[in-house]
Amino acid sequence: MTSWLFLAPVLFIHLLVVAVPSLSSLALCFTDWNGFGKINFVGFENFIELFDDRVFKKAVTHNLIWTGLFLTVPIALALLAAFLLTGVRRFQMFYRFVFFFPYILASIVNCLIWKYLFHPIHGLAAFFRDIGWESLATSPLTTKETSLYAVAFVDGWHFWGFLVVIYITAMYQVEESLYEAADIEGASKWQKFRYVTFPSIRPMFLFSFLIIIIWSVPAFDYVYILTSGGPAYSSEVVANFMYFEAFRNMNVGYASAVGALMFVYVFTILGFFWTLRKLGWEI
Amino acid sequence: MRIKNLLYGIVASTVLFSTAVVAKTDVIWWEYSEEGSGLNDALVKYIQDGFNQSQEDVELEIIFKEGEYNEATRTALLAGVGPDIISSSGATYVAKYASGGFLMSLEEVAEKNGWKDKILPWAYNTGVFGGNLYSLPKNYESMLYFYNKTLFDENGWSLPTNLGEYEALAGMIQSKGMYPFAYGSSGWPMTHEHLAGNYLNTVAGPDNVYKAMIGEKEWTAPEFVEALELLKKHMMAGYWSGSLENYYAVGWDDFSAQFHNREAAMLQIGSWGFEIATALEGDEWGWAPLPILTKNGGEPNYQLSVGGTLSVNAASKNQDAAAEVLNWIVSNRETIVEFTKSRDFGAWLMPLYYEASDFGDDVDPRLRDYLVDFSERTGKGHYGYTTWTYYPPEAGTHIWKDMEVVWAGDISVKEFLGEQQELWEKARKNNELLPIAAR
Repeated sequence: MTSWLFLAPVLFIHLLVVAVPSLSSLALCFTDWNGFGKINFVGFENFIELFDDRVFKKAVTHNLIWTGLFLTVPIALALLAAFLLTGVRRFQMFYRFVFFFPYILASIVNCLIWKYLFHPIHGLAAFFRDIGWESLATSPLTTKETSLYAVAFVDGWHFWGFLVVIYITAMYQVEESLYEAADIEGASKWQKFRYVTFPSIRPMFLFSFLIIIIWSVPAFDYVYILTSGGPAYSSEVVANFMYFEAFRNMNVGYASAVGALMFVYVFTILGFFWTLRKLGWEI
Repeated sequence: MRIKNLLYGIVASTVLFSTAVVAKTDVIWWEYSEEGSGLNDALVKYIQDGFNQSQEDVELEIIFKEGEYNEATRTALLAGVGPDIISSSGATYVAKYASGGFLMSLEEVAEKNGWKDKILPWAYNTGVFGGNLYSLPKNYESMLYFYNKTLFDENGWSLPTNLGEYEALAGMIQSKGMYPFAYGSSGWPMTHEHLAGNYLNTVAGPDNVYKAMIGEKEWTAPEFVEALELLKKHMMAGYWSGSLENYYAVGWDDFSAQFHNREAAMLQIGSWGFEIATALEGDEWGWAPLPILTKNGGEPNYQLSVGGTLSVNAASKNQDAAAEVLNWIVSNRETIVEFTKSRDFGAWLMPLYYEASDFGDDVDPRLRDYLVDFSERTGKGHYGYTTWTYYPPEAGTHIWKDMEVVWAGDISVKEFLGEQQELWEKARKNNELLPIAAR
């Protein structure tokens, strides 16, 4: 009982500012509310319309590609960089800072830098044009075949430093004696990583895996600033789609249905990891 | 006894003075912040201070909001609070606010003060919903051509009057290594709707646009297909900034520079483009209404647009004082002219009945010619429709956001217009159409 009393203030605030608004938002997904006037109950109409919406389907596909990209490229690079950095003795803090720096920059700053670099008239394209590499003289952000990957690249560029830092932190927790034993056995650098480092940092690795999957669902700021989902919805993602429906098209009920599906997806992922944990995985 | 009387006197005068101060009614007005451009300071000088100095009963305070202004307003209104005077981006928002019961009807105030005789009728009507006036138009705009007159003279070019001349001119400009038009959508992708609106009004024509808006014609009619096919053809030919990719990457600063540096010969933009044109150094500039892009051309029209509105909050405790502020604005044409003149007529050009003498001799004659020509031409019925003033929300978003899908070749113009038709029907069914006066 005492523990509940201690928890009560926090629970109350949570209910007030998180749970109640979230639940009321979920309730809106069964309505046609436009954000101002009367609220009419429409049952599952929003969901039926959503599953037939070409832009929503495109956005979901892009979110899956986005998740796949972030689960591979930044993780692989961060693991490699972190492992190499643990062997560096001098200026280690400096290197850590260098890798972490893009992560602490505001997204608008990162985006403006890359928007300029990717500009087809003034940016890198102009440089490539000057040296005669015409095929590279295009803007990946304004070409529909590359826009999603270009936005993911910019977001990944700022994000991977975060992974480097958490992996380094985990790697420093690994028992030095394990490396000494591996040295005695004549293990190569790769073998040490494969059989000592990686198993030791697996909980942190799985944690990063989980947060990447969850954070990929509401991916919004980089898409909104760099391309607004364009050109021609080629970089559209679910959160941007939801924003447009709610605040441009004033379909708050419809946007809430998108939010509800995002909610269900995240809970499914969490349930999956919770099951793994129950099965004895260290997460 | 004297001291006692003196004390009574002091107390009585203090009470009276305090009452007088307390009796002043505060009116709060939320407005978009445009700190960098100096518009905030000008608004305070001409409107806030101007009104406060004109009387002693009401104290007006304009509070500038950063970021997504409409969202802040919507949240406040839903919470039953918000400012006494509400500013919005246009009729779409007014329609939603009014349907939710968040706005006070200005009908009585307008009638009492003769607003109909002061405000241009087409602009007045954009604030009328269900027979009641809910908003005042803050600024009016139209789409225009700006061109580098010196460049035109040097090359012997003349302004086009029909489709053939338009395409020939674009070809001549491109052969000189320049872009026909400086323009781009970076940072403001709604520029697509400027182009779409231009082609709908100059190829299909405003009569057809009007018929489609009131439901007498389908948006999939051949005239509209032809208009947007032509837009796509010209976009692919690089009329705007050289290519579609460049157009997507170019923003306001870039296309202003293109026009100033002779990288482009013309600029197809709203009347707010006077700000760019007047900054042209070294060369002369000129302006013209958009030509009619058909084989034989025709009488040019100005697309009507209201950029921004003012309303009174239905939950305001000071509705009468707030309405008094609005009436002061409508009734003080001289102040408004002085204010908009200080902004090169790019902001706060309220659609009032102006006369040439209102503008004085110090106004650039090109600006004055535009204002007079706009009044005369629209008065004769040569007017079209901007998408952001007359389209319902979803069709209004679709016209620019999905235009990219057409340009990417993912859907045809016909399919795109079919989607437009569906969205207009949906809006009609949900009673979401915006007011359109009969032609």
